[in-house]
Amino acid sequence: MVATFLRGVCRSIDLVVMLTGKAASYLMPILAFVVAFEVFSRYFLGKPTIWAFDVSLFLFGYVAALGGAYAQQKRAHINVDILYLSVSHKTRCVFNLLSFSLGIFFLLIILHMSLGKYEEAIEFDYRRQGEWAPPMYHFWVMLVIASGLFIAQLGRDMLLDLYYLFTGQALIEQESDDGN
Amino acid sequence: SAAEHNWRFSNLYGRGTAFGELYEGLAKDIESMSDGRIAVQVLYSGEGVGTAGLLGAVKSGLITMGAPFQSMHAGELPAGVVEIGLPGGTDDPVKLNALFHDQGWDVVLKQAYGSQGMVWLEPYIQPPVYIITKNPINSVADFQGLKIRAPGAYGKFLRNLGASPVSLAWSEIYTSLATGVIDGSIGSNMIDHRDGNHVEVAKYMYRLPLAGAQVLPIVVNRGAWKKLPEELKAAVQKATENHAQAQLSKSKAWESEAVTEMKAKGLQWSPEASDADKKAWADAGAGLWDEYASQDKYSKQLIDILRKSQ
Amino acid sequence: MGIELLTAVLLLCILVFFALGAPVGLALGGIAMVIGYMTWGDGIYNVIPSTIEATYFSFILLAIPLYIYMGQLLTKSGIGDAMFNASQLLIGKVRGSLAISVIAVCSMIGAMVGIIGAGIMTSGSIALRPMLERGYDKRLALGVIMAGGGLGILIPPSIPMIMFAASTQNSVGRMFLGAMVPALLMICLLVAYVVISCRLNPSRAPLLEEMEPSTPLNAKQKFRTARDGLFAVLLIVAVLGSIITGIATPTESGAIGVVGAIVLAIVFKRFKMEMFQAAGLQTAILVSVAMWIIFGASVFSNFHLLMGVQSMVAEFVGGLDLPPIMIIIMFQIIMLLLGFIIDEFIIVLMCAPLFTPIAVSMGYDPIWFGVLMIINILIAVQTPPYGFALFYLKGIAPAGVGMGDIYKSVTPFIMLNLVVLILCMVFPEIVLWLPNKVMG
Ligand code: NA
Ligand code: NA
Repeated sequence: MVATFLRGVCRSIDLVVMLTGKAASYLMPILAFVVAFEVFSRYFLGKPTIWAFDVSLFLFGYVAALGGAYAQQKRAHINVDILYLSVSHKTRCVFNLLSFSLGIFFLLIILHMSLGKYEEAIEFDYRRQGEWAPPMYHFWVMLVIASGLFIAQLGRDMLLDLYYLFTGQALIEQESDDGN
Repeated sequence: SAAEHNWRFSNLYGRGTAFGELYEGLAKDIESMSDGRIAVQVLYSGEGVGTAGLLGAVKSGLITMGAPFQSMHAGELPAGVVEIGLPGGTDDPVKLNALFHDQGWDVVLKQAYGSQGMVWLEPYIQPPVYIITKNPINSVADFQGLKIRAPGAYGKFLRNLGASPVSLAWSEIYTSLATGVIDGSIGSNMIDHRDGNHVEVAKYMYRLPLAGAQVLPIVVNRGAWKKLPEELKAAVQKATENHAQAQLSKSKAWESEAVTEMKAKGLQWSPEASDADKKAWADAGAGLWDEYASQDKYSKQLIDILRKSQ
Repeated sequence: MGIELLTAVLLLCILVFFALGAPVGLALGGIAMVIGYMTWGDGIYNVIPSTIEATYFSFILLAIPLYIYMGQLLTKSGIGDAMFNASQLLIGKVRGSLAISVIAVCSMIGAMVGIIGAGIMTSGSIALRPMLERGYDKRLALGVIMAGGGLGILIPPSIPMIMFAASTQNSVGRMFLGAMVPALLMICLLVAYVVISCRLNPSRAPLLEEMEPSTPLNAKQKFRTARDGLFAVLLIVAVLGSIITGIATPTESGAIGVVGAIVLAIVFKRFKMEMFQAAGLQTAILVSVAMWIIFGASVFSNFHLLMGVQSMVAEFVGGLDLPPIMIIIMFQIIMLLLGFIIDEFIIVLMCAPLFTPIAVSMGYDPIWFGVLMIINILIAVQTPPYGFALFYLKGIAPAGVGMGDIYKSVTPFIMLNLVVLILCMVFPEIVLWLPNKVMG
């Protein structure tokens, strides 16, 4: 009963994180196109754009931040796995609980500060400093979402570790366990 | 004995550079004039806070005192772009001092920075912005179609002259001039051009500066300022006023030193500008005043005062 | 807490959380925030927004996503393989030939990019799998990518060199020229190492015929292989050309590479929507992995700098009372040690203005000293436990390659770097000959 509920929570988080990660990946071709267009416009048309610089930086930031949770789901974040790979599953769960707690603490601060910067950006109408001067607030909203999803994914991973520690059974099967 | 107030003071110059040492001197003055009750740790370029985040860091109190470059914060505090000096502004220190201290710019700027949690202390007059180009500029018409690295207000000004402003990271200017991605670049002053070695890859400096002089502020976090008793506030104020004098005299000397060094490496001035060119130059700047005044209330107040003073 | 003690505590925390297998970026940021809260208070949280503004809005770092994307498109479309298959037609009989072509490709990529991350992640995307599939020794394959990718900052253009020149008021042109011969030396040593170690230990690099003994290519297949490889090399030449001819900046050139890779894939009828989506997704993950590390590491070093680590180094250096050459050696050791916990840009920002005036006052050439510093940084990013080159390589490596493999793979290549460093120290002419000849 409880396990079913927990499984549902985990699967929901997995789904949202995966969809966001895939959505962010669709920004990659757009990013490359924007930079290529700036080169084309400057060199062949003799007309540098005023927007490509900021648009490319925003897209870069969106891809980089929003992909964080999905990279965690795929266990793609870099870790030093020398000891990690040589200990038992239970020990590994303890390791995860410690390091993910630290990660969540860091991400909570990012979320909190981004929320504050969002409010500031709205209050003072903060913009980028270039001539085009696009507004900044959306970037902080994006960071709130990105760090929120990352927290959710880490929380879900910790839930699995806790479940295993207490029951000795995997909450969700076919969990990739190579720590990679 | 431990100080009562521990301040962090960030500037945008590198450790060991002439301007960096000048700011180090200001920090020492604050310490000695407060009888050691304020201790100031100086942070140089890249040390803990980046150029773009400096204003926000002073606002939040991460940094107690900062010497920001306003163009980097045009999107946060637009009045700073007017404060630094719009294209076509004067370079006469006497006139600038009057503008800031007698005609009311100080009042407006205190409000503008105050609205975001900062205390504005003193204006520093620094040397103006010049354009370096790969080919000589014989008349203003030669700017037509030139790709010049020039952000923000300077970019708009150059567009009015027919040039195409380009946005690039500072560390890409050198290679971009070398390969011809751009035909020219502005530097925040002559010293910046020298430090960037731009003369190795572009030999011609245009004679007319983009703005007569640049005026940079010193700002302090409001919370930290409020904690100071009156006598310490007065000491800090006095130290920054002394520092303004040092900035003015030293930066003139360093500017000419930088020009001499660049000349030794082959720098040439483009030919003297004709009267028609000077007029075209002034006209290109004048159009910006209205544009900036319409975008921000503090900018408008500053520009109104500027117009009245002329 | 004094800065010395703080530095020790931070280092200890890094070692503990690295040992626990924590994600590197989150661990660095988290450690800085926890220790920051205990020593500074919650005011330190304000370092987060200013660090975000500095790292996420760095146009220089934009080379990372663009070059990774180019690498992924080349790999997933099979064009990257074509390049190496073609190289086998030429030098396939030489043992270790694939590793040698990897070094050649890395050198070309090094001539395009100016930062470590773009070099390693592009080279790794294209070249790691072909080597592993052909039965190359894991450590040899990893080490070659790391050493080759690192050439990004030693072969001009190089962002750390531009930063060094600016912060010490030296000529960028001289720096670029000064690094040319050491870079060439490094490339030769890498090739020599591959050839010699493969000859001594043939199992490290099987020849193609040992893997698939009975499949000689017919003339038509040979022609196709050669053609595909030629076009892939032409793409790299085109990207390089776009920089040299002033069409694009080194950062932007990555986008030219992306467009070129898509066009090539279409021309070769290898463009499929799934391939395109997979390349985008893999790129997004890698970009995210790289940026969360860069961000966490920046938060960490910004906190450390705000607490005054630079003053600690300055005081230590100021108190050194040694003969000149010992001071130069001491500087190298300090930078190598800093490299254990601090990233490449910060080392330049911190050490260039501190050390260079001292070196110059003792009569040493600043360009020579600058090139030594760049080689030091090259080593610093490859030394365990904390080195961006190591992290980038882990990011790009297939599952089954642990950090232990990577740590072990770097040793011989760090030795080679040290050889170049020492040669340049002992024979300053290696650095100074070319700039003096060209620029007088
Ligand atoms: Na390079
Ligand atoms: Na290292």
